[in-house]
Amino acid sequence: MTSTIQTALFIAVVGLAGIFIFMSFFYLIILALDKYLPYREEKPAEEFIEETFEEEEEE
Amino acid sequence: MGLEQLLPAIAGMTWQHLVMIGVGLILIYLAIAKNYEPTLLLPMGFGAILVNIPLSSALTQIDPATGQAVEGVLNVFFDAGIATEIFPLLIFIAIGAMIDFSPLFRNPSLLLFGAAAQFGIFLTMMFASLLGYDIREAASIGIIGAADGPTSIVVASRFAPSLLGPISVAAYSYMALVPIIQPPVIRLLTSRRERLIRMSSANHNNKRISKKALIAFPVVITIAAGIIAPSSLSLIGFLMFGNLIRECGVLNKLSLSAQNELSSLVTILLGITIASTMTADRFIRTDTLIIIALGLFAFIFDTFGGVIFAKFLNLFRKEGNKINPMIGACGISAFPMSARVIHQMGQKEDPYNYLLMPAISANVGGQIGSVVAGGIILTLTPLLS
Repeated sequence: MTSTIQTALFIAVVGLAGIFIFMSFFYLIILALDKYLPYREEKPAEEFIEETFEEEEEE
Repeated sequence: MGLEQLLPAIAGMTWQHLVMIGVGLILIYLAIAKNYEPTLLLPMGFGAILVNIPLSSALTQIDPATGQAVEGVLNVFFDAGIATEIFPLLIFIAIGAMIDFSPLFRNPSLLLFGAAAQFGIFLTMMFASLLGYDIREAASIGIIGAADGPTSIVVASRFAPSLLGPISVAAYSYMALVPIIQPPVIRLLTSRRERLIRMSSANHNNKRISKKALIAFPVVITIAAGIIAPSSLSLIGFLMFGNLIRECGVLNKLSLSAQNELSSLVTILLGITIASTMTADRFIRTDTLIIIALGLFAFIFDTFGGVIFAKFLNLFRKEGNKINPMIGACGISAFPMSARVIHQMGQKEDPYNYLLMPAISANVGGQIGSVVAGGIILTLTPLLS
């Protein structure tokens, strides 16, 4: 086996392992972002203004 | 006055030039008649004609009167845009602005197919080194399997500029040929029963993703990738920058410009500039045929890697929660073509099987995977050669 083929084999093994490590890490990042920054229904601006106006009137 | 003085281009024409003009015409035909990656193959085809007319002023020529070099515009473009990697990196901004990562948030585990389907890159690299290419050339040939034109161009321009022409032609041609390459490989590797597996999950498909998470994603990925592999940052960073422009919500005009005008303009320049490497003396070689064959090999084994990985995962999953192995093939970067092909294959087997959403998730994973693969090759190869 020539040194070029050995190097190619080494890059292939380390490279494939590296991609899986990277992608697993990205997977964890997505899970973390999804957990700590979950989707929340945003109220339309008009509704928000109406609610604030009603609260002010009650006061 | 002889023909040589009157029409020096005709006098200097060889059969190799004529073959290359024919190659240019074929690329233009494929782009127009078959709609194969027309944005790139058409400028490359026209550029191939432009640079294969002897004494073309588009290329640097020696002025016989003064003996000095007169710079050709395509060489200027090449030095400014490809040798410096500016053109492919600008394309990455455009691609980043086009990618919607929300399907990945809906099915994050499918991101791993973006890793498995890069198998062809490394197998092809080993095969190329067996054929006698040095490690830098072998890496540049292998990266055709990324199914990602700009990544192939960045790697090839850094490691094997002399092979850039055939590598680019192979990368873009095979991306366009995904609907022809993938189905037979998938059918060979899967049973009908496996192809009938349903993956529709209403909860996943309808899940809403927060804007904050989508904005944070490109920033966090850039920082994480930069810390782990700084040399991959130019690729991942520009892709994520484009995506941040898209998701931030305050740069909609810039996002649209990146997706449309920037993408179109740079693609024109990229295509016609790559053609400057498609001169007869550099292109008509056995190497070109070998590279085109190895590119096909890479695409086939990408598909193989993705499908086999899905089958491997199914060994550990319960009945009713299995992955349709065809989804593994979507881990390549050809977006959205690969996802569409797999969805259509699924529907052909069972018209009520909707694989589009998981296929798109895996395909988006493939877009990240190909860039990561490029970054890893750019990091490892110089260390070991």
